[in-house]
Amino acid sequence: MSEPLSSKSIETDPYPHTRFSRWVDGFLISLGQLTAWIWLLLLGVIVVNVTLRYFFAEGHIELEELQWHLYTLGFLSAISYAYSADAHIRVDVLRENWSLTSRAWVELYGILLLLLPFVVLVFWASVPFVIYSYETGEISEAPGGLPYRFLIKLVLPLGFALLFLAVLARLSRIVKYLFLGAHR
Amino acid sequence: MSVGDILSVLMFVAFIALIFTGFPVAWVLGGLAVLFTAIGIIAEIDFAVPLAMDWGYTALTVDRIWDVMNNWVLVALPMFIYMGLMLDRSGIARRLMNDFARLFGGVRGGMAITVVLIGMLLAASTGIIGASVVLLALLGLPQMLERGYASTLAAGTVCATGTLGILIPPSIMLVLMADRMAMSVGDLFLGALFPGLLLGSLFVAYILGYAYLNPSAAPVPEDQEPVGVSLLLDVLVAILAPAGLILAVLGSIFFGIATPTEAAGVGAFGATVLAWFNSQLSLSVLKSVLRETSRTTAYIFAIFIGAAAYSLVLRGLGGDALIADILHGLPFSATGIIIAILVFVFVLGFFLDWIEITLIVLPLVSPVVLTLGFDPVWFTVLFAVCLQTSFLTPPVGFAIFYMKGVAPPGLSVRTIYRGVVPFIFLQLIGLTCIFLWQDIVLWLPSQAY
Repeated sequence: MSEPLSSKSIETDPYPHTRFSRWVDGFLISLGQLTAWIWLLLLGVIVVNVTLRYFFAEGHIELEELQWHLYTLGFLSAISYAYSADAHIRVDVLRENWSLTSRAWVELYGILLLLLPFVVLVFWASVPFVIYSYETGEISEAPGGLPYRFLIKLVLPLGFALLFLAVLARLSRIVKYLFLGAHR
Repeated sequence: MSVGDILSVLMFVAFIALIFTGFPVAWVLGGLAVLFTAIGIIAEIDFAVPLAMDWGYTALTVDRIWDVMNNWVLVALPMFIYMGLMLDRSGIARRLMNDFARLFGGVRGGMAITVVLIGMLLAASTGIIGASVVLLALLGLPQMLERGYASTLAAGTVCATGTLGILIPPSIMLVLMADRMAMSVGDLFLGALFPGLLLGSLFVAYILGYAYLNPSAAPVPEDQEPVGVSLLLDVLVAILAPAGLILAVLGSIFFGIATPTEAAGVGAFGATVLAWFNSQLSLSVLKSVLRETSRTTAYIFAIFIGAAAYSLVLRGLGGDALIADILHGLPFSATGIIIAILVFVFVLGFFLDWIEITLIVLPLVSPVVLTLGFDPVWFTVLFAVCLQTSFLTPPVGFAIFYMKGVAPPGLSVRTIYRGVVPFIFLQLIGLTCIFLWQDIVLWLPSQAY
């Protein structure tokens, strides 16, 4: 049941790659496959934490904080991976009856008017957020919590920078398909 | 209506319209947030409409995202997703199917009952409607059709049970709902357990009755082996592992031994061990489960982030106040307002997935429900059952579409529609029961810890 959940697997790659997109998608998918191991690590940390707590009566704040640090790293790095793999949820009811060209136009306008502005907004707003955390030397409020809070906050602009790359890659493919005579 | 109200309504309409273009839901939400901020600013500067929208306000999205990032309870979400995917790969479903089929094969409607029971047992793997419907359709549908079951009965059973999976705990939908309602995940899990079992029992009772009245719709095979002690033992062993895992997860939450996050992590570990015992665990299975976990987690959290921005801007335009005014202004009693909300959610369920409805609509209506003095856990379970029913309902039931995607070519959408109708009635009966007797939801949480 892994792949055929919706029609997404049917048209994973209908548009021609560009040199740029092949490089970016290849990089992001490898990175995503690598960061997927975070979930196994998270599973291990939870099991260790539970074991320590119930069998050895030891509470470890840092292990509990490590859990959400890993989870944040996991889901933010996965967003660009899922984008490159075209795994983000679409409502396919009407779309599946449209031609590749119509879909490409939707994709073009969607990227330019909705997705890119949003990615830019989040990136733009998250930079001062990280800088503030760095300048104030923010650490966990919990005793025994993890230091360097800005590092985990930094994952947000980084994740969105990767997403930005992924979007540009897809945009280059759509533009090539629509305007550069790559119609098949 | 003020300009803000009009923009709020437009923002909502734009959302419904744009998701039908097939552009990813998460980015439609996020993009609309930016677009309507811009519109608000232009309205204010160029047309002197007092809206108090500016980029600094929309930039607060980052604080909302941060709330998601450092949310310890939501860590349970990818762990439950992993657990479900791993249970799917563990080969347990297939084994249960075979054993249950032998056990219930002699009963009229036995195969359909098997599908219901497996759907309920493996509900953990089925936070996502698509996944559960596809799993049950691939597993149960061919077997039922081979044995000469009426295709309407077979299709209806698979669709209905598939949607039931999103309700029965441990369910990722409930984790997300609890987070949005700022309530304990444990309470919500426990509150949803009896309603889930109630619906499952209704399904089984209906199948038994239907098969009894229409013997040709659910024939019993002639070569059915008699049920003996060894068969019973086989079934018991097969059921022990998955049932034990689910019970351990729920039980540790019930007795306050573990937090939902811990229960999810340990459950994920247990599922891995189960797969290993069934000799289904290999490096490639592990890799594919991990990657699938990443992709599923990513699309849920992308919608989370998009919805955070969208809700923020909608609130800035006065959308929250508008909804509250409309609901309080309805000429109904408090109960009537609840029913109106449920009807609204039911209709929305035709177009939207549970993720968007939970993230956008639930926070909009919950303050109103709370001021009316209803129990939040009870209301959230009602909300969940209502959503689940709507996924089953033509013309745009999600379950029906997923089912059509994997069903044998001979099975028409018409047949599936006809098959789900009786189950929709059962859902409505269940919903009514939960509405009338709040204790179905509230008793178990009141006994916990």
